[in-house]
Amino acid sequence: MRALCEEAVAAALAAGASYADARAIVRRSQLISTKNRRVDQVDDLESEGIGVRVLVDGAWGFACDRRLDQAGSRAAADRATTFAKAAPGAHDRALAPVEPVEGEYRTPREQDPIDVPLGDKIALCFAAEEAMQNGDIKVTTAFVRAMRERKVLVSSEGSAIEQDFVECGGGIDAMASDGEISQLRSYPSAHEGSSAGAGWEYVLGLGLEREAPRVAEQAAALLRAPVCPPATTTAVIDAEQMVLQVHESTGHPTELDRIYGTEAAYAGTSFIGPGDLGSLRYGSEWMNITADPTTPRGVGTFGYDDEGVPAERTPIVEAGILRGFLTSRETAAKIGSGRGGSMRADGWSRMPLVRMTNLHLEPGEGTLEDLLADVDDGIYFETNKSWSIDDKRLNFQFGTQVAWEIKQGKLGRLLRDATYTGVTPVFWGSLDAVAGPESWVLYGLTNCGKGQPGQHAHVSHGAAPARFRNVQVGVAPS
Amino acid sequence: MTRALELAERAVAAAEGDAVEAVVQAERSGFARFAGSEVHQPTLIENESVFIRVIRGQRAGEAAGNRVDEEGLRGLAARAEEAADASPDDPDLPTPAGASQLPEVAGNDPETAALGPDDQARLAANAIAAAGDIPVYGFFTSGVATVAVVTSMGFSAEQTSTDATALTLAATDSASGYAEQTAWAVRDIDPAAVASEAAEIARRTANADELAPGSYRAVLGPYAIGELLQYFAFDTFSGLALLEERSYLSGKLGERHFDEKVSIADDALDPRGLPKSFDFEGVPKQRVPLVENGVLRGAVWDLSSAARAGDLQRSTGHASPPALRRWGPLPFALSLAGGEAESVDELVELVGDGIYITRLHYLGIVEPRQGILTGMTRDGTFRIRDGKLAEPLVNLRFTVAVPDVLADVPGLTRQTTLANEAAFYDERFAYGALVPAIATGRFDVTGLGGPPGV
Repeated sequence: MRALCEEAVAAALAAGASYADARAIVRRSQLISTKNRRVDQVDDLESEGIGVRVLVDGAWGFACDRRLDQAGSRAAADRATTFAKAAPGAHDRALAPVEPVEGEYRTPREQDPIDVPLGDKIALCFAAEEAMQNGDIKVTTAFVRAMRERKVLVSSEGSAIEQDFVECGGGIDAMASDGEISQLRSYPSAHEGSSAGAGWEYVLGLGLEREAPRVAEQAAALLRAPVCPPATTTAVIDAEQMVLQVHESTGHPTELDRIYGTEAAYAGTSFIGPGDLGSLRYGSEWMNITADPTTPRGVGTFGYDDEGVPAERTPIVEAGILRGFLTSRETAAKIGSGRGGSMRADGWSRMPLVRMTNLHLEPGEGTLEDLLADVDDGIYFETNKSWSIDDKRLNFQFGTQVAWEIKQGKLGRLLRDATYTGVTPVFWGSLDAVAGPESWVLYGLTNCGKGQPGQHAHVSHGAAPARFRNVQVGVAPS
Repeated sequence: MTRALELAERAVAAAEGDAVEAVVQAERSGFARFAGSEVHQPTLIENESVFIRVIRGQRAGEAAGNRVDEEGLRGLAARAEEAADASPDDPDLPTPAGASQLPEVAGNDPETAALGPDDQARLAANAIAAAGDIPVYGFFTSGVATVAVVTSMGFSAEQTSTDATALTLAATDSASGYAEQTAWAVRDIDPAAVASEAAEIARRTANADELAPGSYRAVLGPYAIGELLQYFAFDTFSGLALLEERSYLSGKLGERHFDEKVSIADDALDPRGLPKSFDFEGVPKQRVPLVENGVLRGAVWDLSSAARAGDLQRSTGHASPPALRRWGPLPFALSLAGGEAESVDELVELVGDGIYITRLHYLGIVEPRQGILTGMTRDGTFRIRDGKLAEPLVNLRFTVAVPDVLADVPGLTRQTTLANEAAFYDERFAYGALVPAIATGRFDVTGLGGPPGV
């Protein structure tokens, strides 16, 4: 694969490129799901190819080819160069310098998740489903996934990097219905379970079968729960929902390509400006956000990003003040700070974009019970159900699968169809507590969308339960 | 026999089972994506992928890959066979499709298929130039995608489809407008006109006002109603969702819940859309009435969900692409019938006092069973006063029960527009919704976002 990448880079330079990089990837992924105690899907996907990115007179070009051979690498290089030359107008583009590197990275693992027999994976799903059966449950689902990817990156600046990743994950859903209403409960997350950059030991550690009875009981109980009423009140939010809050309202707005407008037509821009770095008050003093592609077990963990920039931990928000952006070499050069490090592509057939890696809400202190204890009247939200945020990442609205009243520091009645809404800096400004390291949980998501053509990214977020004051909850059609 | 069909035949031959199904998707496409009036992310894609489903007894296994030499196909088949052997029996396992008479459809334009990177860059440049002094963001894309399906039960067919889309956001710091065109023939796409339309809207959106949350009468332009309908349809009109009681249709089929002016179908045969002859299981496409004159009529089905439903339910030809098969049958050719209004202005006049919405952003399904969605408006939201478009508004947060939006419909335009609904993830599969502009008596605004602009 390295030789093919070198060939592609050489072909691009010969065709007139001033810079070129090539990524060759072989990825195998499996998804096994069972539904209502039958196999729903046993899917085994293998995909390979090469993607070549070039700069010609300051204009980018990207092309790919599924053939991992000499013809494929040369064809991709030629087409990428042709497309770059066809770009209308004048272009002026610089890249932040990065030291050429010969590097390797391998995801630490005990057991390669692809090597686990399919029969064992199906049996694990069936066992979890069996434990979810009760009278009100209409649909039970259990699923596990596994991925192995070998990626080689070669650049015209002399970098040659080989990385060997594995990922796996799983989850369960129980949907209750009484003929009038339906309620869904999921574990460990509502977003296709949770995944990790780790071996199969991660899936076994999720304890899907152990958690299944609780998940089913709560789904059934929601059928008889009242709807979360509208109010402006204190919200305590569990770690899983905080993960999505972090993702949508701090991850995407701090992507520097969005800030410069390159996603404006689709995903949107940001309420943040390049000049806000170091001065914007994003939230309260309890708000500390870190981008960290070195996080153990993160699905956004790597040795080097797709521009060959070594992984490093970067503060994004410290004590409520904006301290960093997620950057590429191009956007880092444009802002005159940093060197990139967040460029990632969805496989070999897509151009790298600025993406989240692993983005965390750093823990505070105490436990969930400590957060609840200081609430006379409020709502506790758990597990994401719906999500939406505006194109500048200001106005958001989230729903959760389940919620409870908080009365005099204790959880009270179960509530269904709970939602809360806010405006990003106002909401984060109302943060007054984050639980401590013992409550901090790392979740891996595999469905972050961006780009045209669309790309999925795998990103991890760590968070602990957090408390916000004066939050509007219970949004519904009037 | 073309390469895709021949590849699908070879894939079926490579696998050993009581029944075998192979789907080949071949793609050649280009995206000239631009931002700040500069092409910045041009992407050319060429790929062929093969999906094999092997059935042994009552067991099924699936595998997919893009190595298409003999060794690659044999490895792919072996993985599907291993998956089938590892699976327990499924008593509802459907038999793959057999030979059938396929409808003839439009949708393959040689001129569009022949477009190369120079053409795609040129057409993007046309959009950029037409916007004048307002920076533009968006893309021109065109592609040719071939789908071949072969089963050991006798089905063997392929279809080559072309598609082209020009999409433009024209925006400054404080103003923005949006427009798009999608068609299967590039001759029906005018990127310059798209950019001009977007820029014209943008010029009217500066100095936007806020609006008090509440329930408003509204006119939704085609891009807005297309996206709202598509999100509503994913759960509502899926046969699998109906079986699983998460569809709004659950317990309501045959009842009138929408305004009698509302008729919705899924119609992949309509040449005004992006026509398809058969689905990804080899079942012929057909027009499926979903709502007729406000009465809820039905859903779409694939072989698997139809088998589970029993009661003589048959597939309607709505098996999803392999990458989406997990989500069951989905309506990818929605068609909302037009009404009698000759123009959007006539709808605005019907509404009298309300809001006009050009485009929606980031929809979320709050409660599928009730059809409750949330999202934002953007790039052209206006107040309607005295039957005319008035001042621009900031982006609005809405939380609506779509059935409420469709229950009181003062009017729809006679003219329909094909709104692009594809974001082009995974293998290329262009789809859109054929929709008019619509006036509604109820659209619930629940919050405010920022002003227009980037």
